[in-house]
Amino acid sequence: MLSVTQMSYKISEEGNISTVFLNGEIDMDVTEKAKEVILPLVETGKEVHLNLKDVSYMDSSGISVLIESHQKALEHNTKVVVKEVSKSVLKVIMMAKLEQILNLE
Amino acid sequence: MDISESKDFLVHTASLKEVRTFSRDVFDKLNLNNDLKDELVLAIAEAAQNVVKHAYKGVEDTSDHMQIKISLTGDQLEIGFYDKGKPVVAENIQHRKLDDIKPGGLGTYFIKQIMDDAVFKKDQQQWVNHLVLTKKI
Repeated sequence: MLSVTQMSYKISEEGNISTVFLNGEIDMDVTEKAKEVILPLVETGKEVHLNLKDVSYMDSSGISVLIESHQKALEHNTKVVVKEVSKSVLKVIMMAKLEQILNLE
Repeated sequence: MDISESKDFLVHTASLKEVRTFSRDVFDKLNLNNDLKDELVLAIAEAAQNVVKHAYKGVEDTSDHMQIKISLTGDQLEIGFYDKGKPVVAENIQHRKLDDIKPGGLGTYFIKQIMDDAVFKKDQQQWVNHLVLTKKI
């Protein structure tokens, strides 16, 4: 029997900033869902904040979502800010040497 | 403490969480520190993801299973991955350059960063691919 990977999200809007609160584990099973949530917000040209305080695990697929979001933001003259990254996720971001590329706060 | 545990998983992205849970459960028995445990779980998850993504590329809803075997003998950790997907050509596997920032191509890099060695063995009749990751812990 397959276990279901749980990733949930909540979006808040304030001025020109959309904040996506992601929750759970970000792996290959949920990357399409994550992109469906994040990329349309980026395409509006708004600044998008990704709050990862409740993301306990992220693998290379999740890192790809962060890179794609960041690059899409550059195309639309805006930015994606990655906020409140947990220690375990930060380790993966640093392993990919992306801490200077992504906007981490 | 020596240990050897294996488990079969349906080849599907929805199995990846189960792979991580199995791995964490085994490493909990070994009393590894959390940082090392997280790294090893990531390496295992990336290798399992590669089975789904590459060995079974283009295959929808297979009923095939892959097997993961975690063994510790002394201080030598060995993790075996067995699958019946398309044969992997080890020479063709390479991660992207880190300064070429784009989505994808990092899983193999993570595995190489975390583990001491990653070798495809041609020693199986029952399976097609047999990847062995090793690390001295």
